[in-house]
Amino acid sequence: MRVTVLIYSACITLLILIQSTVLDYIKVFNVKPNLLIVAVITVALLRGNVEGAVVGFVLGLLQDASSGKILGFYSLLGMYLGLIVGSVNKRLYRENFFVMIFFTFISSILYEETVYILLTISKGNIDFVYSLKNIVFPEAVYNSVASILIYIIVIKINKKIEGAAKSSRKY
Amino acid sequence: MLLRLLKNKVLILIAVTLSIFIVMGLSAGESRKTAYIGNALNVPLSPLQSFFSFIGDNIEGTFIFFRDMKSMEEENKELKAEIDRLENENRSLLRYREENKSLREALDLKNQFNDYKSIGGNIIAKDAGNWFNVFTIDRGSNEGITENSPVITSKGLIGSVIEAAPFSSKVLSIIDVDSTVSAVISKSTDIVKVRGDLKLKDQGLCRMDYIPAELELEIGDTVETTGLGGIFPRGILIGTVKEIRQEANELDRYAVIEPAADFKRLQEVFVLKSKYNNAGKASNGEIK
Repeated sequence: MRVTVLIYSACITLLILIQSTVLDYIKVFNVKPNLLIVAVITVALLRGNVEGAVVGFVLGLLQDASSGKILGFYSLLGMYLGLIVGSVNKRLYRENFFVMIFFTFISSILYEETVYILLTISKGNIDFVYSLKNIVFPEAVYNSVASILIYIIVIKINKKIEGAAKSSRKY
Repeated sequence: MLLRLLKNKVLILIAVTLSIFIVMGLSAGESRKTAYIGNALNVPLSPLQSFFSFIGDNIEGTFIFFRDMKSMEEENKELKAEIDRLENENRSLLRYREENKSLREALDLKNQFNDYKSIGGNIIAKDAGNWFNVFTIDRGSNEGITENSPVITSKGLIGSVIEAAPFSSKVLSIIDVDSTVSAVISKSTDIVKVRGDLKLKDQGLCRMDYIPAELELEIGDTVETTGLGGIFPRGILIGTVKEIRQEANELDRYAVIEPAADFKRLQEVFVLKSKYNNAGKASNGEIK
C-alpha cells in the first residue's frame, strides 16, 4: 500500500510538471495533449473506479492549483472522469491497446466539451462546432497518440504494484 | 457486507462532491477565501516548475541557435542599416523629449507610473489545458505582489495577477477569454473594451468591442489602457488595430487587436507594484 501511494505521488508530480511546463513546446496546430486526462483514463481502466476517481481528483486539484481559476473545478471533473471510465469498463478486456485508444479518444472529447460548455455557459455565445473542430478534436487525436506511451509505462508500473501487493500478502 | 461497502462509497462520493461545490463557491467570490489551499499546493510546485521551464527554454534555445545561423549574417547587415536610421530618429526624438518635459512641468501633469514600482519575473509555468491563458510567474506575495497587480513587458500590457501565492503568482493574460480591459483609442480618446476571444487567442490576438459608430477607425491605430476600474494605470500600450470586422448590421462592428507584447514568445514580464497598498485593492470592475 505504501509503495503504491509513493509511486502514484511521484508519477502525479512528474505529470503535472511536464503538463504545465515543457509540453508547451510540442504544440501542434496550437493544441497540446492533456496527459492528465490520459493518465486518469489509464489508471481507471487498469485499476478500477476507486483508484481512477482518487487519481482524477488529485490530478485535477493540482491543475486547479497551478492554472485554474476556480479551485475545485478540475478536481470535480477529474474525479467523475476516473469514476465513470473505471465503472464502464469492468467487463472489457483491459490490456488491449485498441480499447485503450478508443476510450481515450471518446473520453477526451466528452471531457473537453464539458469543460468548454461549463466555462462558457455564463457568457452566452457557445460555438460548439468551432470548439470541437479546432480544439477538442485535435486534442483527442493527440491524446490518443500520447496514450500509447503512457499506457506502456503504466502497465509496467502496474505490474510492479501488483508484485509488491502479492509479496506483502505472502508474509 | 458488500452492500454496506457500496453505500459507504456512494456516501463518500456525495460528501466529496458537496465539499468541492462549497470550495468552488467560496473561491469564485471576490475575496477568494480558499486561496490558501491552492497556495499550499503551489509553494512546493513552483521551484520544480521553474527548474523544468529552465531546461525546456535551454533546449529550445539551442535548436533556435542552429536554425537561425544562416539568416543571421543577412540580418546583421539589415540591423546595421536600421541602427543608422534609428540614430537619426533618436536625435530628433531627444529634442521632443526635452520639449515634452518642459511642457509637462508647465502643465504639472502627474505621471501615474510614478506610483508604481516594477518587479521583474520569469514565467515558470503555462496553462495546463488548451482553453485558457493563465500562466505562473516566479514572484509572489512575499515581494509585495497582490491580487490585481498589473503585469506588463517593455512592449506593452500582458494582464493582471489573479492569485498571489508566497513565491509564485498566477497571471490572467489579456488574450484569455475571461479578461476584459477598458481601453482608449489613442488618437480619438474614445473608450472601448478589449477582451480575449477563443478564436483569436491561439494567434495571440484579442478583440475590441463597443466601438462608437461615428469613429473612423483605421488599421494601425494604437489602443492603450484608460486607468478606469483601478487595476491598470493609465496609458499602458495594449496594441494596434489589425483588422476591422463588420457584423450583420451596419452599426455593429468589432476590431481585431494585435497586442504590442508578443504572447507566443513570452518569458520575462514586469509586475507593477503599487507604492500605496490600498490602490491594488480598489474596485474590481475590469476583470470578471
